[in-house]
Amino acid sequence: MGKVPPSFRSALSNPNLFNRSQLVPSNSSPKPQYFPKKNPPPKSRKPILPPKPKSISLFKSPNLQDAKNIFNSILKTSKAANDSRFHNSLLQSYASISTINDSIAFLLHMTKTHPSFSPDKSTYHILLTQSCKSSDSTLSPIHQILNLMVSHGLTPDQVTVDLSVRALCSADRVDDAVQLILELSSKHCCPDIYTFNFLVKNLCKSRTLSTVYNFIDEMRTTFDVKPDLVTYTILIDNVCNTKNLREAMRLVEILDKEGFKPDRFLYNTIMKGFCMLGRGTEAVEIYNKMKEKGVEPDLVTYNTLIYGLSKSGRVSEAKKLLRVMVERGHFPDEITYTTLMNGMCRKGETLVALALLEEMERKGCTPNSCTYNTLLHGLCKSRIFDKAMELYGVMKSGDLKLDMASYATFVRALCSVGRIADAYEVFDYAVESKSLTDVAAYSTLESTLKWFKKAKEEGLQV
Amino acid sequence: MLPQRMKKAITDNPKKLANLIDLVNLPSTLREFVGQSQTSRLSCFMRVWSYIKTNNLQDPNNKNVVNCDEKLKGILLGQPQVELAELPALIKLHFPKEPK
Repeated sequence: MGKVPPSFRSALSNPNLFNRSQLVPSNSSPKPQYFPKKNPPPKSRKPILPPKPKSISLFKSPNLQDAKNIFNSILKTSKAANDSRFHNSLLQSYASISTINDSIAFLLHMTKTHPSFSPDKSTYHILLTQSCKSSDSTLSPIHQILNLMVSHGLTPDQVTVDLSVRALCSADRVDDAVQLILELSSKHCCPDIYTFNFLVKNLCKSRTLSTVYNFIDEMRTTFDVKPDLVTYTILIDNVCNTKNLREAMRLVEILDKEGFKPDRFLYNTIMKGFCMLGRGTEAVEIYNKMKEKGVEPDLVTYNTLIYGLSKSGRVSEAKKLLRVMVERGHFPDEITYTTLMNGMCRKGETLVALALLEEMERKGCTPNSCTYNTLLHGLCKSRIFDKAMELYGVMKSGDLKLDMASYATFVRALCSVGRIADAYEVFDYAVESKSLTDVAAYSTLESTLKWFKKAKEEGLQV
Repeated sequence: MLPQRMKKAITDNPKKLANLIDLVNLPSTLREFVGQSQTSRLSCFMRVWSYIKTNNLQDPNNKNVVNCDEKLKGILLGQPQVELAELPALIKLHFPKEPK
């Protein structure tokens, strides 16, 4: 799931948009899942740290004395030791395996034995990142490093804030990150908008909406850090994912009042909100408004809209949209096709969906495992078993994974026509290909068999 | 049709999961077959199913039926033939519910 689908690639490669929302329904969306899960934003936006040395395994043990010895022996044999990047690399390498106190001691040792080396900001940033990741659940190691930094005449800057916030968030310490950002803002330096948005995004994931609003308000009133369009997009995306569309509309109004002009990404996000609730009419309205305001729809717009229309059962309109997008010069990708196929399968037009698979391949778009799972699910639902078996064969030869929904439907379909041995074979494939855990695969098989037995005993038609 | 909710309940229910993967002290008949004194219901099923596959015990005319060999008879109620569909239920017999 970690692969970035092509339709998102263009957005991700733009550094200003790295935490834009994407066309991804929340994971609680009904089965099967057509879209990959959220891609984590690219980690670090600025090339701050010195490049990691290739000999990353230089330090074999976290023991401080060993590290000192290695450093001394390098000093004796090498002459290229006057560059501070060299020391930073060493420190970075050692910090990756040691404890924070040992790292500090190692830095002291380096400065003592090699006086021409003066630690710079990157040096302290290495220690800072390490201290954020340390097991200590208080902020004291971070304060220690910051004090060390200040006492050497280096003021923490936006890079410092950014690095520590990211490190804290990746260690699931969002509350600490908030505390730190407030402290640093009052003492040294306010975060830039990227750091701010990153933290807002992380807060949205794990905290209540009121916590997020409080944080934003505090930053605005105390430190004059104002939310921008991206911040609002993050917020709207978040409330849309929790199906709170009223709040989303309120945010849109606020945004309008503050003089922001919604861009493509914001429109896409709102549209996604409507689509996830199956409100196709509103989604189309947003699409029309977008065209009115001269905002050019992109691939994500069309994918979202096709998703929404399919979901609310308006497949023929979705099909029309496929033509429109081609006319406007957007190439439908596997997500477009899979979404449309899903809509068709829901309507019972499974064979039309199957024909779309051919068309898709003819146009040079490679179906992914979601595409196959959608079709397999649809074929089983409409009881077209020979085609389902054929498709399953293709999936097997391509080592594609089964998802839970299509696996369960397939097993049930096979059992219902008495092909128990085939159901067992599918079970084996699901476990072997690591599509599902053996617990999930087995409990589905077992309960399906049990259900059919019971149904037979009661004389039900299956 | 098996409702979606039921499927979710199975995967979400910790008790059901526990009775599937918890290690259980085996009765002597099963102990011989599995070669361990403790195993879970899930791995026991896996063991029996792979035993059937490696020894080609599925009936060539009807793959849904297993022709038991002596070893298999010992653990599956002594029946000469067993439906594949019954297999999970038969294995479950060796794993009685624990009294509360």
